[in-house]
Amino acid sequence: MNSGKDFLSMGIKFTQTYKKYINAHPAKREIMCLKVIFPHVLEDIRPEDMFAGREKYGPIGFTPEGVGHGPIIDGFMYYCDETLLKNEINSSSDCNELLESLDEIKEFWRFENTKYKVRNAYSEELASALPHDNFAEEPGIAFPLYRMGGIYLNYEKLVKNGIPGMLKEIAKLELEAAKINGDIEIYQAMKMAVELLVDICLYYSDQAKQLGKNDVAEILEKITTSKPENLREAIQLVWIYSILAGAMNYGRMDVFLGDFYTSDIDSGLISKEVALEMISSFWKLMADRNTIWNGRVIIGGLGRNNELNADRFALAAIAATRIVKEIEPQLTLRFYKGMNSELMEKALETIGEGRTYPMLYNDDINVDAVMRAFEISYEEALQYVPFGCGEYVINHKSFGTPSGVINLSKALEAVLFNGLDLESGKVIGLQAGEFNGFETFDDVFDAYKKQVTYLVEALSKQEELEYKIAGENATFLYVSMLFDDCMERGKGIFSGGAQYLGGTLETYGNTNVADSLTAINQLVFVEKCMTLDTMIKALKANFVGYEKEHKMMVDAPKFGNDDLIADEMAKVHHNFVCNIVRKQKKSTKLHSYLAVIINNSTNTTFGHLTNASPDGRRAGQPLANANMPSAGSDKNSITFVMNSQVKLDPTIHAGSVQNMKFSRELFSNSPIIVKALLNTYFSKGGTQAMITVVNKGDLENAMDDPEKYRQLFVRVGGFSARFIELERDIQLEIISRTLY
Amino acid sequence: MEGLVFDIQHFSIYDGPGIRTTVFLKGCPLRCIWCHNPESWQKEPQRSLKDPLKLIGRKMTPEEIMVEVEKDNDYYLNSGGGITLSGGEPMLQFEFTLELLKLAKEKGIHTCLETSGYSPKENFEEIYPWVDLFLFDYKATGKERHMKFVGVENELILSNLEYLNVKGAHLILRCPLIPTINDQEEHFKALAALSNQYSGVEGVEILPYHDFGKGKWEEVGLQYALDKITTVDSFIKEKWKQRLIALGCKKLF
Repeated sequence: MNSGKDFLSMGIKFTQTYKKYINAHPAKREIMCLKVIFPHVLEDIRPEDMFAGREKYGPIGFTPEGVGHGPIIDGFMYYCDETLLKNEINSSSDCNELLESLDEIKEFWRFENTKYKVRNAYSEELASALPHDNFAEEPGIAFPLYRMGGIYLNYEKLVKNGIPGMLKEIAKLELEAAKINGDIEIYQAMKMAVELLVDICLYYSDQAKQLGKNDVAEILEKITTSKPENLREAIQLVWIYSILAGAMNYGRMDVFLGDFYTSDIDSGLISKEVALEMISSFWKLMADRNTIWNGRVIIGGLGRNNELNADRFALAAIAATRIVKEIEPQLTLRFYKGMNSELMEKALETIGEGRTYPMLYNDDINVDAVMRAFEISYEEALQYVPFGCGEYVINHKSFGTPSGVINLSKALEAVLFNGLDLESGKVIGLQAGEFNGFETFDDVFDAYKKQVTYLVEALSKQEELEYKIAGENATFLYVSMLFDDCMERGKGIFSGGAQYLGGTLETYGNTNVADSLTAINQLVFVEKCMTLDTMIKALKANFVGYEKEHKMMVDAPKFGNDDLIADEMAKVHHNFVCNIVRKQKKSTKLHSYLAVIINNSTNTTFGHLTNASPDGRRAGQPLANANMPSAGSDKNSITFVMNSQVKLDPTIHAGSVQNMKFSRELFSNSPIIVKALLNTYFSKGGTQAMITVVNKGDLENAMDDPEKYRQLFVRVGGFSARFIELERDIQLEIISRTLY
Repeated sequence: MEGLVFDIQHFSIYDGPGIRTTVFLKGCPLRCIWCHNPESWQKEPQRSLKDPLKLIGRKMTPEEIMVEVEKDNDYYLNSGGGITLSGGEPMLQFEFTLELLKLAKEKGIHTCLETSGYSPKENFEEIYPWVDLFLFDYKATGKERHMKFVGVENELILSNLEYLNVKGAHLILRCPLIPTINDQEEHFKALAALSNQYSGVEGVEILPYHDFGKGKWEEVGLQYALDKITTVDSFIKEKWKQRLIALGCKKLF
């Protein structure tokens, strides 16, 4: 049990340990610090658990991805969350001595936490381009993100070799390194990490025994000395390893568990029902880990060597998602034409029940797209896996943490208002001159391109820098041991270990900008029925007193209506953004740098701080949700929305998401129509779909009577949520999305 | 050649099989008292009384319409869908409707025609080869009732139905059912019998009354007569279906 006092004294001990090893090999420092955290942050096995492994992090510690990992709101890697720390101190009844030493510790971490180190390493140009970190409160266009997100481990290797196999490999490589006078400290630290893993298994095993859960205890003991031999042992090893590694996405699970699953059932070791119970218990643990944006489990698709066995597991995974009604795991189904049709059938049934899962990914488009976007081989592209809100990486081979966000709508705003944020009066962008200097549409577009280019260049440098600082400060032992090339190279994943260190950039407001550019072009320059001067006055006034102009902007062609004009502009804008991001790979050491068009709730957050825009959007309203048309602007039908979406090139970015909302009536009364609709969408080039199914009126009713709607799930963007648990303005944004 | 259209609706899944695009033509000779598209009655464009900037009805050529329709070709192919002509009464703009259907067939698109059946026989003679499936209305039984509730006599409609069947057309009978107006046993019996009388009739689709169209009557300056009747719930719909099945009605969609 971890109590507040434990967190505070753990924080003290952690800091002391860090200080002791501050000049040691980062790998050594890391393992010594990890030994302080574990088992401290581990929570007890619960009576209903079939596996051990629960966690709750404290205000000070080490974890690759801070925010979104339990209670941590600020920081990553070596972090000290001051808000959490304050709360812990307030709720502790400790003596002044303890509290004083904590003040000192807070001061120490202020300049030693990794986030600070990254920010502090910014050159003057970088700091000037990216002045703020808090994009929820500061007006601005581009902001850095601090985290090493999207860890996908080689679970296939883990369950094949087990703990003994890992120790053997480490020993072998250490010997080889010694022969050539290479770095053996890293291997020694890796060995200690595996020994810590063993200790944790035994720690939990003792706990399980005390709770009378002997089966759990046995398995935990067994896996410390032999590789997993059945499904339950494999799941336990995978889970406990993920907890120690801070990995929050769980790979191509049907591949690495499929053989265990089928062999256990076919040999009669366990029944299908028991296997489903196990998977459901596993799912419950993932749900309770509550990572918000992560927790992906990938099933299905091309490139699975044990496809028949994997399919069987995949069906069980879908069944578990119907039983365990939680917002994680984020079950993700990759599919291709010719895949066992039962998977898609069951997937659609599950979606029809309002689970929002599985998310559907079209391999027939995506493998080729990933191959081109990342400039890798087809074989490598076969192993693409989406993580978090929808970014693609190559399973345990490439890294692609999004270390920046850009509000494209705000970039356009900066162009229209000569670099100023109207609300605050602050300069937030390049000052390209007053709007009446723009004589042609190209003038406007060029100024916008300049603004975006400047920031994208800065953001790519920031990504590269963040990796550098990360690599200098930690080895990420658990991650590196199961990430391609790291062990052979004897280097940490970000310290030269990974072959493919790529980056991603989260873009927002794409649709709004495309529609805004269309409106500017059509109204001001083509039809000449509005001057740029009037348009800007109307935007400044948030359309009050400019109702006629507002209607003209609202009625201008919009993306999502299969309209030639709007969609042409959307294509041009999409290509510009994706290509300018992609281009940065050439001026950095990144293996790739790619845009993602995803969503979480940042479209709403950014929307708050974005003024009225020429697409007719009022000040403060949410931006469009990823690759969807902006709310209310799809006037025709879902078929036209899809027609528009498939026009955007998928081979130049690292993932876009399409969030659709269908009525339950449609799904249950017309399943053949729904199948035909989705089939057509995918064969026309649709990359993926995330589908929320609700009864008409349920969302509105749920706002009035929440308790009746606990099981109402919606897809917000990169995560699903219980509708009633969302903040009001996110609820309103979801209601505003068209229901088909 | 131009026709007057007041709506084009994509992803129509209740106007014929599969995913369709429904083209709504303006103008109707009937005056059904339950109509939920009263803005379709007048043959000319008209202004909405609710939104002065909104004009109901716009002139389009068959080619212009097909450009819109063809955008969803892939969806039709994958779902057995196509184009549906509706309204109003599409046969009122007969030449235009014929042209549109010919163009659709030329492009390999499945065609549905939603019609009240109230149009000279010669028109049906000319048009039937271009229609894959007729959605043929059957609204009321008996001369007097028909005149009272639909506004025209029923002889022409029934003889056209007979004719189409003789010519080998495929039809589905579409039957609006409104409580207290045409939900009597006599009408059910007649409907069931009619469905079996003609081999060309594939079955029956009942359209339970809903009051979503009420607002549109105000919008075009008409007085709605059915204020007291509310949208039919699924329980009653099910009862009606069971009644028809018991009377031996051919397949209910």
